[in-house]
Amino acid sequence: MLGRTMHGVDYDARRDEIVVPQQFGQAILIFRGSAAGETKPVRVIQGSKTMLTALDRVAVDGVNDEIYVPEGDRVLVFDLLADGNVAPKRVLSGPDTGFTAAGSVAVDPSHNIIVVGAAARSADGRGLPELAIFDRTANGNVKPKRVITGAKSRLNDTGNIRIYPEGGLVFTTQQTGYVAVWSLDDDGDVPPRYTVGGPNGLLQKPRGLDLDPRHNAVIVSDKQLNAVLTYEMPQLFQPITSSR
Amino acid sequence: MMRYFLGAVIGAMLMVSHVDPEAAGASGIHGRLVRVDALPPDVCVWPAAVQWAEQTAGRQGRRAAALPLDDRTRIYAGPPARTVQDRFPAFAAVAVDPARDEVVLTDENLFQVFAYNRLDNSPADAVTTPKRVLAGEHTLIEFESGVHVDPASGDIIAPNNDTVDTLVVFKHGSSGDAAPIRALKTPHGTFGIAVDDRRNEMFLTTQHDATVVVFRKDADKDDAPLRLLQGDDTGLGDPHGIAIDPKKDVFYVANYGSHALRRADREVRTGVPGAGKGRDKANWPLGRELAVPGSGTNDGPSISIHAITAKGNDKPLRVIKGSKTQLNWPTGLAFDAERRELFVANDMGPSILVFDADAAGNAAPKRVLKGPRTALAHPTSVSLDGKNHELWVANFGGHSATAYPIDADGDTPPLRTIRSAPASAPSLMIGNPGALTYDSKREEILVPN
Repeated sequence: MLGRTMHGVDYDARRDEIVVPQQFGQAILIFRGSAAGETKPVRVIQGSKTMLTALDRVAVDGVNDEIYVPEGDRVLVFDLLADGNVAPKRVLSGPDTGFTAAGSVAVDPSHNIIVVGAAARSADGRGLPELAIFDRTANGNVKPKRVITGAKSRLNDTGNIRIYPEGGLVFTTQQTGYVAVWSLDDDGDVPPRYTVGGPNGLLQKPRGLDLDPRHNAVIVSDKQLNAVLTYEMPQLFQPITSSR
Repeated sequence: MMRYFLGAVIGAMLMVSHVDPEAAGASGIHGRLVRVDALPPDVCVWPAAVQWAEQTAGRQGRRAAALPLDDRTRIYAGPPARTVQDRFPAFAAVAVDPARDEVVLTDENLFQVFAYNRLDNSPADAVTTPKRVLAGEHTLIEFESGVHVDPASGDIIAPNNDTVDTLVVFKHGSSGDAAPIRALKTPHGTFGIAVDDRRNEMFLTTQHDATVVVFRKDADKDDAPLRLLQGDDTGLGDPHGIAIDPKKDVFYVANYGSHALRRADREVRTGVPGAGKGRDKANWPLGRELAVPGSGTNDGPSISIHAITAKGNDKPLRVIKGSKTQLNWPTGLAFDAERRELFVANDMGPSILVFDADAAGNAAPKRVLKGPRTALAHPTSVSLDGKNHELWVANFGGHSATAYPIDADGDTPPLRTIRSAPASAPSLMIGNPGALTYDSKREEILVPN
């Protein structure tokens, strides 16, 4: 059921599973972590009840057994163990959420939040890019707890988002050529605390992103370079206790 | 079908432990745009140059938006500790030009288009130097998923699959960082190309919205398609290659099988990616903003056969589909009007399947080119040379293009091979990597493509 045009992937270490969105078939495919060759998914979420429309990315919460799907003006949340034609258990959507163009999401079960990469809703459809932070269990038309956005943030086209809970940091790729890092406590028009890989580094169009705190690694895929680059950043993988 | 996905995973793993020292490293393969200056007023600006300016300005704008960062931001620009990157070209599409004894190949890894001598034959440990190379910012070449060579002029026509959404046309003999002579804006996700010279029409498949759009062969800039084939009944699903049978006035489409319905009368979903910047044009695909939630299916791989004038929600005339077909990510197509045969580059086979022109249903191929001696490696494109009775294949997973007798069957070795890398170089097949994840249990990086 996979194709050559997969835009997202997440790994659930607890269940040892790989979760992949199938954008053309409006499906979420779950494979065993050891899958190789032409292996069938162990579960497939697909069908009329799912509300899945234009999924590009997914995020897995292995602690609470949930899958998050950002889709434009909403975020769908599924039971991780769901299989077949099942409805989402929560839908974060509505004018109070303040976002549209949601293309990425990350979950932090330890801080009980999600971070949505999106754009602010606006009448002319030209809302600024933003990182909107919600309660993890937010459902329906809910306001965000905090929103990082504005000129100083330099937020651009946000790719993947990852959270380092121990350090209270949120990482996101920027097509401007770097990975931007904020504190999970940041709010409003604030600059990133750190950047990785640029600006003016090797990165050109970074999109994919993951963290390997055990090896102090920030791992980035770049669709202009057709490459995977690993940055060793021990200075970021320490608990952040002081404020700016 | 996990192999492609996991192939990249395994490739990445291999690169960590078995990396070819020459293939690694973070050397800057691509030139970096330093600045964009306005042309002097007396310089003639042709349409492609305008599009190039838009494109480069867009890139410049993206990067400019990054600077200056606030003084409070601590910048760690690198370099990376490790880089997994294939420094060799990965051939995605092939078109043989027997009139000029050339083979044209697109490279989706380093964003180039090559013209080789048709009789080139690379030794196993060597790389063949192409006659001409098209590459650079002016060319608009990035992920060129298809290629067609005009038999009369030798001009090269190549659609872009993702990042540029622009089909480019180069005059025969062009090389270097040349601007295309035409640059047509195409729907997002355009993949395959076929040209009907009798009708002066150009057929393109689009993956994302499961369509075939038909343009005038010489369409340029913002021209709208002449026809659109899209809908529940068309049988199209993640379509890739396309080929025309001029004698029976039909065209063939290779489908991976996944698709979802669209409805023009739906309320437009805000904030989801659409079909590109052509929504106001006639015959433009209905994008994901008009998708029906939960309507997605995977119908399995197929070859759908359509009337040459098919449009709207027209049903296919017939469909080749089923377990006997051996279809598995059917990607490139070519049709031999004299032999009445359809050739399929079957990516996951890896194989070249040959069907009778009139095959239908769960039909077995009449020939299957497959086996270790064939050197096929994720074949994604096939082209036919009727003059010299040869079949050409682009091996996306093998750094190679291989030529066979047109009636090759079974485990037949190639007559000749054009290599873009030594045979021993690992082929990473990292193409447009928009995501990744880290498997902390196995300490592996997973990269979907």
